[in-house]
Amino acid sequence: MIRLVAALAAVVACAVVALASPLVAAPGLAVLLPAALSILARWRWLAVLAACGDLGVYTVALSIERAAASPGPALALGVALVVFLDAVDLSARLRSATVGDGVVRSALVRWAALGLGAVAAAVPTLAMAGPLAAILPVAASPLVAAAGALASVLILAALIRRAA
Amino acid sequence: MTGRVSPLALSLLAVAGWMVSLGVVSGRPELIVAGLPVLLLLATLARPAARPDYVIEQETGTDRVFEGDEVTVTMTVTARSPIGLIELLGPRPAGSVVRSGRHRAVMTLGAGASGRASYTLAFPGRGAHDLGAIAIRVRDRLGLRSWEHRHVDPRPLRVFPRIVPLRHVPRPVHVQASVGDYVSRACGEGIEPGDIRQFAPGDRIKQVNWRASLRLGQLYVTQQHRERNADVVLMLDTLAEVGAPSETTLDLGVRAAASLATAYLARKDRVGLITYGGVMSWVRPRSGAAQYERLADALVRADVVFTYVAKDLLRVPPRVLSPQALVIAITPLLDRRFAKAVLDLAARGFDLLVLVVSPVDVTRAALAPTPTADLAGRLWRLERRADLVELRRHGLRVIEWRYPEPLEAALADSRRRRVRLAETG
Repeated sequence: MIRLVAALAAVVACAVVALASPLVAAPGLAVLLPAALSILARWRWLAVLAACGDLGVYTVALSIERAAASPGPALALGVALVVFLDAVDLSARLRSATVGDGVVRSALVRWAALGLGAVAAAVPTLAMAGPLAAILPVAASPLVAAAGALASVLILAALIRRAA
Repeated sequence: MTGRVSPLALSLLAVAGWMVSLGVVSGRPELIVAGLPVLLLLATLARPAARPDYVIEQETGTDRVFEGDEVTVTMTVTARSPIGLIELLGPRPAGSVVRSGRHRAVMTLGAGASGRASYTLAFPGRGAHDLGAIAIRVRDRLGLRSWEHRHVDPRPLRVFPRIVPLRHVPRPVHVQASVGDYVSRACGEGIEPGDIRQFAPGDRIKQVNWRASLRLGQLYVTQQHRERNADVVLMLDTLAEVGAPSETTLDLGVRAAASLATAYLARKDRVGLITYGGVMSWVRPRSGAAQYERLADALVRADVVFTYVAKDLLRVPPRVLSPQALVIAITPLLDRRFAKAVLDLAARGFDLLVLVVSPVDVTRAALAPTPTADLAGRLWRLERRADLVELRRHGLRVIEWRYPEPLEAALADSRRRRVRLAETG
């Protein structure tokens, strides 16, 4: 069941990439190969590699198309990748184990909550992004974006370090 | 209990970093939006998490089994606080086989709920194990934090060697003063009727043979043969072994020793044990059910310890290796030092029997049948036959046990050989 969910998430992620630009449909679908292998072999590192590959192809697709920003598919891609990584991790933990009744149900509830939470977080974030972009000077925006990205990754790393 | 960030959190951090970097480099906001669920999930790490609270209980059916028997291990977890995911890794000692169920269990528990997992272990070989350690890993609801703990509640388990019932065992030449199952030629207290003689002052009335007395007109008494026991010392060769695990020559020797010990103890004999190898140990001859426990404990722990040193049997105290004892040396005769020790005992006048566990058959059973293996086995058998002839030439009683032939058959063959020798003079 868990591996089925992982496969479904991988297909959704690849479909989002393939739909972003028909030109990258082939490499987008090729990412399914390492994803499928990671699901079968329950290798976490390969799942991370497949997710990163998928994001790389998605970036190329967005750069080729240069269309207006569409947050819906991007959010779906993000949720699909998290579910994919979590499902592969969970399936690795359940390998050769007696699985209790509530494990799968609890995972499904968690992923559903994650999807809803992501949507709930995206709506106000995107609502704030429009006015904020209008205020910022165009020349400073790349610097602000880079600084924001760096700060967010550093904060996350600090959180992980503290939790460890 | 050790808490840490789970590998999933590190995977998510890697993906988040990659997403944000691509977003900044490409200048596309979609990648930042795609990273939102990941960032949202990782942001929960800012919230301090309480340690999971739970109680582990473990049940094992028994603390002693025989080879091939099964033990059911049951692990029960009672959660005092909600547990997102708990992984239990039950004990699985080396050499054991999971026969039913799985020794890993994963469950999700709410506060106050309890979960149970059980599995059955089979033990093909003897040994002393501990089934008291459970490795536990708990993850929080989102799977980003994990705590590891080792629950230790010592539960020793001894796997005793399999015993084969033996109806006939080699008879000792000398007997001891205590009461046993061997009928002595000398008359005295006992239940086996012996000679009839005239009544003498001091004889008890219950000994009077009334039938003979009435017929002969004088009082006659029936004498009884004394019933004596014997000292038997089992000497186990632990210098070397061959064969597949749990079917090595040492394992077979241990089973033979356990079977012989059981048979002799049932005859009220005093049985002792000497393990002759890299580590030399002994159990003083005693009789009774408790002695079997001592012998089985020593046999369970018997193992090959490599050494270049030749051990001297003079180190063994006389109360263990009494000159009147029947010594049964159980050996595959793979190491010359044991043969030398046996010859030394024979030279010192011990009543000695050598039970040779044939390593040829054990090795061939462990190998795939090929013409080369067959030829090597035949050559090895010829070589060993010459060795056994040499031992017999020194006056030793040698029995060769070719597994899977039953031990009883090997011992019976030895009795027939002795009878034939006696008949031919």
